[in-house]
Amino acid sequence: MRKQILAALLISVIAAPQMSVAANHREAPITALDHKADITDVFAFVSYSAGQPPGMPPSKVTLILCVDPLLEPANGPNWFPFDPDILYEIKVDNNHDARADITFRFRFSTEQRLPGLFQVYAGKGIGVVAPFNSPVPIVPGTLIVPRQIDSFDDPGLGQRQSYTVTMVRGNREVPLENEADEPFFAVPANVGPRTMNYSLLFSQGTYHLSNGISVFAGTVDDPFWIDLGAAFDTLNLRTLGSGIPAVLTPGEDLAAQNFASDTVSGYAVNAIAIEVPIEMLTRTGRLEPASSPAATIGVWATTSRPRVTVRRSPEPALTEGPWRQVQRMGNPLFNELIVGTGFKDRFSMEEPANDAQFASFALDPVLARVVNALTAGVVAIPDPPRLDLLPLVKYVPPIAAPNTPAGPIADLLRLNTGVPATPPASASRLGLLGGDPAGFPNGRRLFDDVTDIALRVVVGGVLVSGFDKFPNNRLGDGVNVNDAPYRTAFPYLADAPSGRNRRHVDPGEPGGGPVN
Amino acid sequence: MKYGSFVALLCWAVTVAAQSPAERRIAAAARALSASPSRYELHNELALALARRARETGDPGFYLRAEEALKESLRIAPGNFEGQKVKVWVLLGKHEFSQALELARELNRQMPDDVQVYGMLADAYAELGQYEEAEKAVQWMLDLRPGNVAALTRGAYLRELFGDLEGALDFMQAALQRLPGGETEDRAWILTQLAHLSRLAGRHEIAARLAGRALQLMPGYHYALGELARICTAQGKHEEAVMLLRQRYRAAPHPENLYELAMALERAGELLEAQEAFVRFEQEARRESVTADNANRELVFYYADRAGDPPLALRLADEEMQRGRDVHTRHAYAWALFRNGRVAEAAREIETVLAVGVRDPSILEHAAAIRGAGSGGLMGGAAKGARNLPQ
Repeated sequence: MRKQILAALLISVIAAPQMSVAANHREAPITALDHKADITDVFAFVSYSAGQPPGMPPSKVTLILCVDPLLEPANGPNWFPFDPDILYEIKVDNNHDARADITFRFRFSTEQRLPGLFQVYAGKGIGVVAPFNSPVPIVPGTLIVPRQIDSFDDPGLGQRQSYTVTMVRGNREVPLENEADEPFFAVPANVGPRTMNYSLLFSQGTYHLSNGISVFAGTVDDPFWIDLGAAFDTLNLRTLGSGIPAVLTPGEDLAAQNFASDTVSGYAVNAIAIEVPIEMLTRTGRLEPASSPAATIGVWATTSRPRVTVRRSPEPALTEGPWRQVQRMGNPLFNELIVGTGFKDRFSMEEPANDAQFASFALDPVLARVVNALTAGVVAIPDPPRLDLLPLVKYVPPIAAPNTPAGPIADLLRLNTGVPATPPASASRLGLLGGDPAGFPNGRRLFDDVTDIALRVVVGGVLVSGFDKFPNNRLGDGVNVNDAPYRTAFPYLADAPSGRNRRHVDPGEPGGGPVN
Repeated sequence: MKYGSFVALLCWAVTVAAQSPAERRIAAAARALSASPSRYELHNELALALARRARETGDPGFYLRAEEALKESLRIAPGNFEGQKVKVWVLLGKHEFSQALELARELNRQMPDDVQVYGMLADAYAELGQYEEAEKAVQWMLDLRPGNVAALTRGAYLRELFGDLEGALDFMQAALQRLPGGETEDRAWILTQLAHLSRLAGRHEIAARLAGRALQLMPGYHYALGELARICTAQGKHEEAVMLLRQRYRAAPHPENLYELAMALERAGELLEAQEAFVRFEQEARRESVTADNANRELVFYYADRAGDPPLALRLADEEMQRGRDVHTRHAYAWALFRNGRVAEAAREIETVLAVGVRDPSILEHAAAIRGAGSGGLMGGAAKGARNLPQ
């Protein structure tokens, strides 16, 4: 009896023995297997406009979640719909316990309106009809190609996605609705200039509600920029003007141009954005000055899929509901570059409030040790524990006001909503390090160069006394700007590259930096 | 000479064909080790293959050999993760559940993304009767890698324990569909589990076909023989059950298998032979009574109901409760309490078992007896319980 029961349990030994011994580590972490649910970036910043004066009091915050990495814009015929099976969520902690007080939930649904066509989008001019010699039974003059797509009602938009937005506070769920008596539509991929007027769809897909909230979802230019290929080639960053790998000259550091290739250039991503009046986000329900503890919020985003539970009848205490979290993100590059491979899935599925278990990664980052070793000590690094990194994982100055409850160690993007946005013209890509108080790690804007900031702060330890010096404070990948211009109003994202004319800037090309 | 080598080749071919998956793995690991004896991974592979062979045959001797291989692996590469994982499996196989749990928890801390470690946690927790912890571990497995076979089979086991037979069948069916090709024994094992669940759901015909399929895949497979015998018993085919259990006992000569055979003999009216089998069972079970992998639960029922020694039954049950408090151990303990006249304690214990959700017929039968006694007064109840003994 007993041997039989045990055997029941031992099956896994056995279900994959060759895997267990020989190739366990070949198994890719969970999100590598689930691109649709893979979060690429999370942004949170005080909204701004192009011509705004310095010191203008904040009024709204923009939150952006990007998923589904490296979408090749030419990749028809289905392109990149959001996944209706995924629950996309942006979460806000406003009382410093690293638990969600306000959650924005996004769910998508898909219609196929051109089931007979070989691709999901089609259009040209005012439409194209069958010519004089059209074979039977199609008579000449019959519409064959629909008109160019410039609205969500156009027949050429064969695959049309709409979505719902729900704001959750505690147990209260408030649906946010399109007052135009239509659903919210997601902006499709930019197929090409013949098929669609993408920019027009983009502006129609940007919805402003009467309560001050704005929403957007769609396929856009991937707002991230990095020499990804070099970074993941065991930090084989390029040698530029300084002659030292991964170290920029002062001129390169200041320039708004790229000296290495932006691997993400010419790629699209799926983005969800929401702009919210600050008083809807703070614990007090008011705009709070930067000096107030209540001004600082924590932001993260999650993707979840329906879950199969051991207990089929709902047992809330044991099953925690019908979703399993596939991924989450707060700080950029945290899971990618800080958390060890054997912990990445667990990290992805955890609640930020339980992040103390990963503290050793954050306070003694392996990344720093790797750079220290790869540069044979040229880049000296501070001793652990790296308490200088605490602002990334706790509510502490310089982001949060003094006397803000620090809360548990948690990977949240922390934003002091009382700090006025810096006018774009005077903003620094280096955020706080560049003397710009409205940039990363005080929240994160699209144009914040989190790669260089992470290299300098996490690796170089420039916040530690004695480490803010050359070469630590000049570390960088040589990619300083995005390939496409961001908007200067909500949702701030840039147009998706067109499938027909997209360009990926590669090493050795103009603007792509050296190959070596 | 030529002729001789042809015969040798033929013999070799026959041997290869007759080898089980585990035997082939053992041979492959041994060959590789003779070429490179210092590669610890190969010692791990050998240990794993031996542990697998232990399951195929039900012979715990293979665990001892697996331990030897592991010792070598951990000597060459102290603390190597895969070696420690195999060590947990061997500990589980030897029924050293507390030790297995301790090591599995340590491995989980070292690498929380390893799905198999959650499986080992689930096994150890379940065997120790910590079902909520087991459920959490299986849920992690399902969440980390939806649809992985190891999670589905464990999920099925827990669903069955929690009284959800149909859900257990769903999971086990999905496990069968997702099993990689070539895993003959795993396939036979899952088919046997499907047969077991179908029998409990009252679908005896289907259950018999499933067990038959398992035996086609693995002729003489001891788990399938045991299950098919239980199906025959449920169908009233007692002679067939005896035949199958004899065959099973020859393949896996463990005292608990002898106990089941003795019961079947009794049901088939072979009372003399049954009596002999019970006596032999007692001797053999007593011999391994102090080891972790024992037949003490069967001994408890034997002393409580047949050998007229309820105090000894209770002592043994009490000892087993020190090792782990899964529903089957608690069931044996409750019955021993009951047969010693300690009805109120027996009732508390059996209610704990039922609260898990388990619907095992023998547990339900004993629970009814204990409950009846509780309501009908102590002495009368014990007598009523005695009438409800499984015959």
